[in-house]
Parts: sequence; C-alpha cells; structure tokens
Amino acid sequence: MSDRGEVLFQIDNLCKAFGSNLVLDHISTEIRSGEVVVIVGPSGSGKSTLLRSLNLLEIPTSGKISFEGVNITDKKTDINKYRQKIGMVFQHFNLFPHKTILENLTLAPIKLLKKPQQEAETEAMALLKRVGLEEKAKAYPAQLSGGQKQRIAIVRSLAMHPEVMLFDEPTSALDPEMVGEVLNVMSDLAHDGMTMIIVTHEMGFAREVGTRVLFVDEGVIKEENNPQDFFEHPENPRLQEFLSKII
Amino acid sequence: MEDFKLRFYTNFIKDDRYMYLVKGLGNTLLITFLAVLLGIVLGFLVAIIRSTYDKTGKGKLLNIICKIYLTVIRGTPMMVQLMIMCYVVFGNYNMSKIIVATLAFGINSGAYVAEIVRSGIMSIDPGQLEAGRSLGFSYTQTMWYIIMPQAFKNVLPALANEFIVLLKETSVCGYIGMMDLTRGGDIIRSRTYEAFMPLIAVAIIYLIMVVVLTWLVGNLERRLRTSER
Repeated sequence: MSDRGEVLFQIDNLCKAFGSNLVLDHISTEIRSGEVVVIVGPSGSGKSTLLRSLNLLEIPTSGKISFEGVNITDKKTDINKYRQKIGMVFQHFNLFPHKTILENLTLAPIKLLKKPQQEAETEAMALLKRVGLEEKAKAYPAQLSGGQKQRIAIVRSLAMHPEVMLFDEPTSALDPEMVGEVLNVMSDLAHDGMTMIIVTHEMGFAREVGTRVLFVDEGVIKEENNPQDFFEHPENPRLQEFLSKII
Repeated sequence: MEDFKLRFYTNFIKDDRYMYLVKGLGNTLLITFLAVLLGIVLGFLVAIIRSTYDKTGKGKLLNIICKIYLTVIRGTPMMVQLMIMCYVVFGNYNMSKIIVATLAFGINSGAYVAEIVRSGIMSIDPGQLEAGRSLGFSYTQTMWYIIMPQAFKNVLPALANEFIVLLKETSVCGYIGMMDLTRGGDIIRSRTYEAFMPLIAVAIIYLIMVVVLTWLVGNLERRLRTSER
C-alpha cells in the first residue's frame, strides 16, 4: 500500500545540529500520498525535530527536503506558499486565544486563500460539525477543554485544505480521558485518505491506523516497517528495548 | 469667604488671566497627543526590530542602532534632551516650539514604549508564532494578525502608565520658553504674587486629566479582556 501514491516528501541526508549536538544525522526517506506514517522513539531522539523540519519550523543544517518535487530547503523557495498545503497540529494546541473558535478557523482561509468571509464561515461550521463542536463557534479557546482545543486545532489546519497533516505529539498534553476523542478524529481523517505524519507515544493508535512506522533514535531512522511486523518482530535491539519498556 | 472670592477674582478673572491656563492646557494636550503618536510609532517600530532580532537573528545593524537609541534616551534626563533639541538641534532654525517639544517628547517616549511593547511581544508563547507560520502566514502577517493584538492587550496598562507620565513630564516645556499648563500657572503667579491659587489650580487640572485617562484605559482593558473567558 505504501508504495502506491505519488511522492509528497523526498528527504535526502537531512541533518540538524543545535550547536555541537547533532539531532538529525543524515536522514533519508520518502513519504507518499495516502500514507499514515507514525514516528516513534525515545524522548530526545530527534523525532519531533524531524517532523518540524518538514515544514521548516526547524531549518535543516544540511540536506534536502522536496515537497511535491520542489526543493523547499532552497532559500529561494517561498516557504509560506508550501506551508499552506502542510497542516500542522501541535502538542500544546496553539489556538489563537484572542479570537473566537470560528475566527480561529477562518483567519487563514480569509487572509491567505482570499475566501469571502461568508464562504469561509460556512466551511468552518461544516468542519466544526464534523468534530462535534459546532456549538462552540462563538466561544474562545480558554473556555474549551484540552481535547476540544486539539480537535479545533485539527480542523483549523483542515480549513486550509492541506495535502498532508503533521501531528507533533497531539495527545501528550491531554488528560487521559480526552485522548480518545482526539485519536478518533485522527482515525477518521486517516480513513478519509489524508496523508498524515504523526509523532506519538500512542502505540495502539500507531498499530491500528498507521501504514508505516518509523523508529527514530539518536537522530537516525533505526527501523521502519509496516505496523504489524514493526511491533511483533522488531529487529533493532534498541527498538526491542524501547517497545519492552512501553508496552 | 470674601477673601477667597477676591483672590479667585484677581488670579483668574481679572485681565482674563484664566486664559493663561486655557492656552497652556491647550498646548500641553497638543504636545502630549502628538508626542504619544510619535512615541507609539517609534516604540512599535523599535520593539518589532528588536524582537525580530531576538527571535530570528535578522537585522543585526538595525538592532544595534535601536540599542544605541534606547541607551542614550533612557540614560539622559528628559529636560536635557528637550533643551538640546531646542538650542542645539534646532538652535539655528526658527522652528515652532510645538514641533520642537513634540519631537523631543515623542522621541523620548518612543524609547520607553519600545521596551514595554518588546516585553509584550516576548511574553507571547512562541507556539503562537509557530502556529501562524505553519498555516502559511509570513512573519509580518503573523506579527500583525496574531502576536501584536495579544501583546498589545498585555502591555496596555504599562503603556497607559507611560502616557500618563508623558502628560505630566511635558510640564518642563517652560524651559524652552513654551507656555504649557504649568508655565501658564506660573505666569499668573508672577502677576499676582500669589502661589496658592494658580499652582493648586494647575495641579487639579493635571489630576483630573490623569484620573479621566486612567478610567478610560480601565474601560478599554476590560473590553479587551472579555476574550479570555
């Protein structure tokens, strides 16, 4: 399944160093349209940095990332244009606290896609309905629970009609009883065919929804496989150790 | 009581002396208003340059210029700056005193506004910038739509305080021969040889302006706060 679909991200020898600390060490892989790639690994392994490099929130030290055949690490590329097609969901939601939920969803479509306000709002309401939060349209982020905030953050990205969604530990800041509602939204999204790249510690989710799982450790992809083999027959000793600790 | 009436008459009514206060107040308000505008423009500009450098490392030279500006302005007394503006910078020009004072006070206020606004920008969670950028907003757009509205709300009390200080600080205008409110009262004093009436009147007028300003800002603040809950 993972070798169908066109290549969205082509990553070649990606390196990222913070000072003398090499966080990503010559990472190469590709991500195809329709894939749900789950990245797991111990904390400090570089998995979040890898994800954040894909929309250049982290500027790679060296190496190349192409998105739909365009080298986005090239300084001449207008990254803002490509970020519109790459949705991102953060651990801490990062909703805009000074705007209502509806405004959170419509700000980017109105300002960047130049949609008429009416159209943007109709679309936003449909998205809110999809995650069961249409009655919160006029509320402010501070009035929402963590799980609700994260569902809003997901549809805020979807309002831009991205071609791929990046998730950076989307459930790590949530109370346990709210994790499910966010994972459900993500599963639905995956079933609708959205290309997703997810950094998470939810192994059950990785196994059920993922089409490919990457194990990142010490800045290197130490193992990658389909979920079933990844969890049942891990080969890399570090991965075996990692899985034994968390399952 | 008769004595009070007579003193009131000689100090304010006779020879239309109240006009010194009215004209002075007009100048004080005009200079404060123009200087606030200039201070806001300069302050936001410097704050944005400085925080952009802090966050992205871009604009090194501009940042250095801004730092020198802040050091010089905040390191010297307002009155000295005003006199330098009048007698050194415009010493050989017949420039309107209003413009001289506006420039001096605006440039001075800008330095304080800059640091207030910068602290507001830096207090916004970096995740807000990342969220804006990840949606496809440019750095400038993210600043404008997402960071600045929040930063402004956070610094509003400090900013209002700065403008109240500025209003009172304009009372040194007399040193460059301008008739502001303070000078107006002082002129009355020199005519009537009485200090109490004109100076207390001047103090009361300042106090009323400050109280009204504080009240207005309190209202604005409450309105902006509604979005939090």
